[in-house]
Amino acid sequence: MRALPKVVALSTAGLLVATLGGCASSGDADGKTTITWFKLTETADSANATIDEIVADFEQANPDISVKVEERAVDAHKDALRTTLGTSGAPDVFFSWAGPGLGGEFIDAGASLDLEKYYEQYDWSKRFSETTMSTVTQYGGYDGVPYTQRTEAVFYNKDLFAQAGITAAPTSYDELVADAKALKAAGITPIEFGGTVNWHVMRLLDSLLETECGADTYQDLVTEEASWADESCVTDTYTEFATWTSEYLNPGFISINNDESSSLFYSGKAAMAIEGDWFNQVVRDNGMDESTVGIFAFPTGTDRIYGFNENNYISANSKHPDAAAKFLDYLTSDEAQQKFIATFGSRSVNVDVLPEGQSDFDAQWNPIVEAAKGVYMNNDQNLSLAETTEYWRIQNLVATGELDPADAGSEFQKFIDQE
Amino acid sequence: MTSTTAPPRRASRPAVAGRRTRRLARTGFIAALPFLAPALAAYLVFVVGPTVESIRLSFFEWSGFQGAPQEFVGVKNYVRIFTQDPVFWTAFSNTLVWVVLSLFIPLGLGLVLALALNRPLFGRNVFRSMFYIPGVLAPIAIANMWRWMYNPNYGVGVTLAELFNLPWLAEIQWLGDKNLALYSIFAAFVWQIAGTNMVLFLAGLQSVSPEHVEAARLDGANAWQVFWNVTFPALRPTTVVVLVLTIINSIKVFDLIVGMTGGGPAQGTQVLALWSFQQSFTNHEYGMGNAIATVLLVITLLIVVPYMVWTARQEKNS
Repeated sequence: MRALPKVVALSTAGLLVATLGGCASSGDADGKTTITWFKLTETADSANATIDEIVADFEQANPDISVKVEERAVDAHKDALRTTLGTSGAPDVFFSWAGPGLGGEFIDAGASLDLEKYYEQYDWSKRFSETTMSTVTQYGGYDGVPYTQRTEAVFYNKDLFAQAGITAAPTSYDELVADAKALKAAGITPIEFGGTVNWHVMRLLDSLLETECGADTYQDLVTEEASWADESCVTDTYTEFATWTSEYLNPGFISINNDESSSLFYSGKAAMAIEGDWFNQVVRDNGMDESTVGIFAFPTGTDRIYGFNENNYISANSKHPDAAAKFLDYLTSDEAQQKFIATFGSRSVNVDVLPEGQSDFDAQWNPIVEAAKGVYMNNDQNLSLAETTEYWRIQNLVATGELDPADAGSEFQKFIDQE
Repeated sequence: MTSTTAPPRRASRPAVAGRRTRRLARTGFIAALPFLAPALAAYLVFVVGPTVESIRLSFFEWSGFQGAPQEFVGVKNYVRIFTQDPVFWTAFSNTLVWVVLSLFIPLGLGLVLALALNRPLFGRNVFRSMFYIPGVLAPIAIANMWRWMYNPNYGVGVTLAELFNLPWLAEIQWLGDKNLALYSIFAAFVWQIAGTNMVLFLAGLQSVSPEHVEAARLDGANAWQVFWNVTFPALRPTTVVVLVLTIINSIKVFDLIVGMTGGGPAQGTQVLALWSFQQSFTNHEYGMGNAIATVLLVITLLIVVPYMVWTARQEKNS
């Protein structure tokens, strides 16, 4: 019986040693370097498969490097970054939206490694366009490597449009409103959104802001050079928004998320959705006949397209920055990007990789992108995190009729002034 | 010969008893210390330490990142939450509403279920299990389940509306109507927690003396009189436990709100625990988040401590 406690103690000690050995820092096992990449779970299953393939190809070409991919949904990914960056649990590479409001917080906190030496080593400045490079150099150094350049527009169900007597996609805002009325009169939900994920309905509000205020005032507002309380176009924006949310959105949108609302589009119960170039593959994966789906730019009347950039960053305290940079070089190479844009979207961040063999459905993005002279970004990327939370609160108050649209601008400006 | 010397003075019995009690108490405490130490250490490290740190951070501005500086701002965070935060008072009132409702509905329901299932009944154990099972489910799973039940396109209301031709039922926005959403979530909370309260009350009911109940009946007491004068007083210790647990659980409600509405619509179902979390982890305002957490701590202590002191006095007097 006296031997039993000793056996237990030895076993426990052995288990502890084994466990601690397993917790050794990444890259020490068998001389192989393991880098961790935090990213979003792609909406389309085929996109996830493409990422797996690209990672496998890189590992095959670099047998001394292993890439451990950790994928999460949008909000869980943001939480993971906030709680790990700056700590020993931080990933080597992390995905983030490139806008100053959303991604800038991580840069300001010193979570991103300056990559100037890798830009020189791999000559990346020539690989990416001026627009995407501006998201890298906006903080003064070289933060991040471009990952995607997302364009957002309105997807529409051609069959439902025909049912409502609409023969062509709208080219002006007045035509869009007229189409929404016609769809509603035909008993069809004009447009679907999921309100519990505030960034989904925000796409409508941002597009209306661009429409009512124009490009210059939009930029002045989001950079706080103009007052939300003083610009009359802000009231016009929220008034239009209140009309859309009360008349043309799917009933009960405020209490469902974007996945639940998108199912209305896939099943032909809603005619339109504001989504991005990733949605083409999602449409296919959800069994819609892509020949029945059209795409048009939200008719704001400006020459800008709605969109945003996404970058991959190397953590400031990554133990394997060289391996991480090597992986990002492969990820943005011609070879990987050719596979990437086949499932991810219409445009590669690599200027030498052009869409080839596109389906008619994917090719619908080409004239939209080529016609655009600039980009107006999603406001959750333009505004600070606290301002975004308030922007969404006011958005939802107007959407539910709890706030007069005429008071929305001043309510938001009051918050900005207190910050 | 009669002895004139006084008998040796003996210490009074209460004084001896007092010294003996203190000696025994010291011996008992010291003897218990090795067994208490690990739990005490864990309590200090994982409860007291973070609480003190949270209160400290409430006087600073900090983004939460390891390398970012913490700037001392005094009571500025408290001034901001009380006078400038557009959501704080909504979260505060929602939390109080939740606590008050919790004191009556899930607690009352748990007691009623316990009384009903304490008597011989066919299938009694099945019923007990049915009512208790929600209490062991993960809160986020409960949130997902009820969110689908309330879905405005595919939910229970919509289905029943189609089945029984009740169009008004399909139009109710259970989680989308700001005036209704909090109570819709509360219904899920009652479903989750009533069974746990039932189990606690069932345990307490086993300590009610059957002889006292029998005696009361023989004296002509009706069911209500037996309950009020015999059963309920005997349940006092259990009621204290259930009440305190209910208050604490309701004050820190989080999972159901996150899972069902995220605090919406338009922060209409926001509660202090979630708002504290969002200020820290979503908005990177750790000072504000911890100030809200400190307010929550003070509210909890203000409610729980006087009640426990009062209850202890009542027990001592009786």
